[in-house]
Amino acid sequence: METSLIPRSLGQPGLLSDIRAFLAVVRREWTIFTRYPSWIIALFIWPLIFPMMYILTARALSGPDESGLAVFIATTGATDYIGYIIVGTTVWMWQNIVLWDVGFALRNEQMRGTLESNWLSPTWRFSYLLGQTGPQIVSMAMFIGVTALEFGILFGVRLNGNPWMIGLMMLAAIPAIYGLGFAFASLVITVKEANTFVFLIRGMVMIFCGITFPVAILPAWMQSFAKWLPQTYLIHGMRAAAFSNAGVNELLPDLIPLLSFGGFWLIVGYFTFLWMERRARKTGAIGQY
Amino acid sequence: MSQFAVEAHQLVKKFPARPGTGDKNPSPPSPLPEGEGRRGEGKKKRWQFWKKEPKATFTAVSGVDIQIQRGEIFGLLGPNGAGKSTTIRMLCTLLEPTSGTAHVNGYDIVRQANDVRRSLGTVLAGERSIYWKLTGRENLEYFAALYHIPPAVAKKRVDELIERMELKDRANELVEKYSTGMRQRVAIAKALLARPPILLLDEPTLGLDPQAARNLRELIATLKQEGHTILLTTHYMEEADQLSDRIGIIDTGRIIALDTPEGLKRRIEQKEIIRLEVSGWQAYIGEKLLALQEVENLVAHRQAEADMWEVSMQATDSRTVLPKLMESISQNGTRLVNMNIVKPSLEDVFIHLTGKALRD
Repeated sequence: METSLIPRSLGQPGLLSDIRAFLAVVRREWTIFTRYPSWIIALFIWPLIFPMMYILTARALSGPDESGLAVFIATTGATDYIGYIIVGTTVWMWQNIVLWDVGFALRNEQMRGTLESNWLSPTWRFSYLLGQTGPQIVSMAMFIGVTALEFGILFGVRLNGNPWMIGLMMLAAIPAIYGLGFAFASLVITVKEANTFVFLIRGMVMIFCGITFPVAILPAWMQSFAKWLPQTYLIHGMRAAAFSNAGVNELLPDLIPLLSFGGFWLIVGYFTFLWMERRARKTGAIGQY
Repeated sequence: MSQFAVEAHQLVKKFPARPGTGDKNPSPPSPLPEGEGRRGEGKKKRWQFWKKEPKATFTAVSGVDIQIQRGEIFGLLGPNGAGKSTTIRMLCTLLEPTSGTAHVNGYDIVRQANDVRRSLGTVLAGERSIYWKLTGRENLEYFAALYHIPPAVAKKRVDELIERMELKDRANELVEKYSTGMRQRVAIAKALLARPPILLLDEPTLGLDPQAARNLRELIATLKQEGHTILLTTHYMEEADQLSDRIGIIDTGRIIALDTPEGLKRRIEQKEIIRLEVSGWQAYIGEKLLALQEVENLVAHRQAEADMWEVSMQATDSRTVLPKLMESISQNGTRLVNMNIVKPSLEDVFIHLTGKALRD
């Protein structure tokens, strides 16, 4: 056999190649996302529908002369109950969408059959999960922007805080929210069906983190539990930044635990991924659907 | 550089068995003398309530040995569940062997998995391995990045492969609008992107129309001429016969024969193959024929569309067998419609070795 005939691979491994591969995953995901027109409905309709349920309940409970709102103001310190509710419901929606989108990203690829063909390439495998996060963050930022716009126009909700501080709180929440998504994505590949876990996690956020009420009204044991959920700090900090004009110093009690949980969940997410990858090599889970 | 493109030694893959299923393919016997098993084996069993019972396993691949020369087309033939896909999945690093070693392009499949992936172009799951919501071109550009091809080189290479795969006119259409054959061509172009020295093609012509399958076989032959080593798994005997330099027949997780197609056929050269088309075939007739000294490896297959049975058997002397055969068949409404005595094909070799047809 002539050795000169043996083809030489065109691939050139290195950090730059891995970055290009990561960006290719981001681009692929964004292209596919925009090719399903249903995203327009999700972007404009969903931000209104979900909080409306709580806003209308609050209106009904406040009485015809809205006298009940005085009790709400006394308990929460917030004068704009609609703004108060939409911060909580938006955080809940964020976590919920991350669990469905990022959490099921690998599972969806597994069912389509494309996960194996990605896995066959020499790219750093965590890129496949990390790359799905980029478009998700962009679409979520659009979702939050549309929420603010729609409630501003339709209900007169005004943010009287510093938008940079709101942005800071959201940035600080990204590691915790997506770290949990990474861990979840890896578990879903292993157990295949995980809808029950999504319902459980979003139920916990709904009850313990005070999406429409202050955590202070919960029994002591529930308040203790709420301290272990990063979303509690995100909701509290976002409300302070959006409606009480809180600065960095006032936000530190929320930022520090939020970043600590972020570090924790990113590490858990990454190691769960490594565990899943190793387990999949032993069991063949990547090709099973 | 290693002499072999692919080299596997005693590859074993076991999976946890589903409840109620046992190990159908036991592993090869332990090389250790009796009484020198793993630590704890053979000792008096102590009651330990926290200790789980050992999990039942299913052995999918049971000691496979393969050596594939550079530039060779190696066909891996076997029925469903024989272990060919598991073997391929171990070689392309999707699965880790339970024991044994394998090297691809000189790299260890466990310790140098990334180098193995760089050396391979793989077609697994055919049309399902690409994104249907991307265009053909977008798919290739995406995978070029995953295979670390620099952008300028990738652009040229993608254009070249689109041209070669005759996809130019529809390269910018979504893959969901393509035919199965076109999607398969994109999947093959994806495998060729990085110009890997070794190609693993798992059932590449499955689901293609005859013309598309013929074109693909021509392409595989050309790739060999260009110096690629090709490991091909297929259900189609003619395809393996036509393309492969050597063929390994795998059954119940083991390679049971390995030779050139001609070498394999020579094994049963002295046998004659009798093929019958029978209406109203009954299982007892098969048993009766198999009881004849001159007949072996009888396989009956129902042709649903014609309500007819295709029966194939190997005979040492067809002249002696034929009168007995006619007598046995023409009874109780069974009717012989057609009969041929032919030279052994690869399919007959397979039946001879495994006792079953490849499609079973």
